[in-house]
Amino acid sequence: MAAVSSARANALLLGVMTFAQLLLMAASVRGGMAASAVAAVVGVASRPAVTPERTVSGILLDVVHFFRDVHADEIENVKLELEVTRLSGELERTRELAQENTRLRRLLGMHEDLAPKSIGASVVTARLAGQSRVILVDRGATDGVRPDMAVVAWGGAVGRVVSVEKGFARVRLLSDPNSGASGVIARSRAEGMIVGRGGEPMEMIYVPKYADVVVGDRVITSGLDGVFPRGFGLGRVTVVGEPVGASKSIRLEPEVDDRAVEDVLILLEPSGTRLLAPEEPEARP
Amino acid sequence: MIVLWAVLGIGLSLAFELVLGRFAPGATRYVALMTLPLVAYALRTSQRSSMVVGCASGLLEDYWIEPRLFGLNGLVKTILGWAMGGIGARFDLNNFWGRFASGASVHLVDEGLQTALRRLFGEIVAPVGVASLGIRAVAGGLLTAAVLAIVSKFGTSRRATRQKNRKA
Repeated sequence: MAAVSSARANALLLGVMTFAQLLLMAASVRGGMAASAVAAVVGVASRPAVTPERTVSGILLDVVHFFRDVHADEIENVKLELEVTRLSGELERTRELAQENTRLRRLLGMHEDLAPKSIGASVVTARLAGQSRVILVDRGATDGVRPDMAVVAWGGAVGRVVSVEKGFARVRLLSDPNSGASGVIARSRAEGMIVGRGGEPMEMIYVPKYADVVVGDRVITSGLDGVFPRGFGLGRVTVVGEPVGASKSIRLEPEVDDRAVEDVLILLEPSGTRLLAPEEPEARP
Repeated sequence: MIVLWAVLGIGLSLAFELVLGRFAPGATRYVALMTLPLVAYALRTSQRSSMVVGCASGLLEDYWIEPRLFGLNGLVKTILGWAMGGIGARFDLNNFWGRFASGASVHLVDEGLQTALRRLFGEIVAPVGVASLGIRAVAGGLLTAAVLAIVSKFGTSRRATRQKNRKA
């Protein structure tokens, strides 16, 4: 009798907890105060476990970096000597191109892109599960970070800030199934939308079936999504599938390896997304 | 005392989960360390305590790692705690194969329930690969069996020391 009543009590408790947490999820989707309040309590309760973890893993990370850097420096020295020789020639050519670029930009009447205002952040932890791919960075609301800011790393775009706490922010990676960014093939300027596929390679969708895309093409951000400034690397085309309907299915190898991201830049102003000012109508005589 | 051990277990799991995410983020696809306290309590104590431990560890995981749906992991782990606690009360699973099977099934059901709930709340879900599920089940099972073996060994040695002290 006691066992039956205990089982009933547990089933009742399960029902209550399930209902409460479903309400919590619904509230968090709507951005409700109740979810934020519960999250704040949970955050405060977990501090005693997280503070020592950060200290210990910070020390571990320093030790790992020290040994890695010593080894890497020797190899790097040899590489750099060769690189300096090569870059001297490249620099001359780039100067020419920069002058030409300035002339052409003026000619077209385009706005000069300002370097986006940004702050550096270190990755505290990451979750690279199949359905949710997110990193935690050590900059938060107190540093001026807000939701929907773009996050980039050396090499290309990483993801987008989805929620911000006082001292840290959660960043949804581009490989997350719920991520999306507007991309363009650097060579042919064919546009499309880059979507994540969890642990699988990213996909570029809505590319017209007659667009010129070949394996190896580099895809960069187009700036049309209002989050990422144009020009950040997204990936390289690895597979160009058969057209389905009016569009092609394209698979991408990401430019930035999610597993290797340690430091990122959070772009505080997406200045590269400014559109051209509408042309002044010509005065009629 | 049971509450203290639960708090310690959940705290340690959270700390190790965050460390794993920092040093080997690729491994977080296959192992979920926050399920360990849940399985430990389901196999060793009551159904109710495993539900509560599952709920607490899930909510902590949500706060730190879940980008949108706060409460998702809490709900999934509450259900898992209830199911595993029920099974643990009926069968003796506190041996290597029992722990392995419990860990493997918890890792698999955790992934399945999360996918279903994400879809229910309008998120896009990625196709789940059979190979990655297989690796997840084996890795989760082995990890659970290993950690619970260490925990029970520690528990046995503590009990023995306490008895020796009492005799002395």
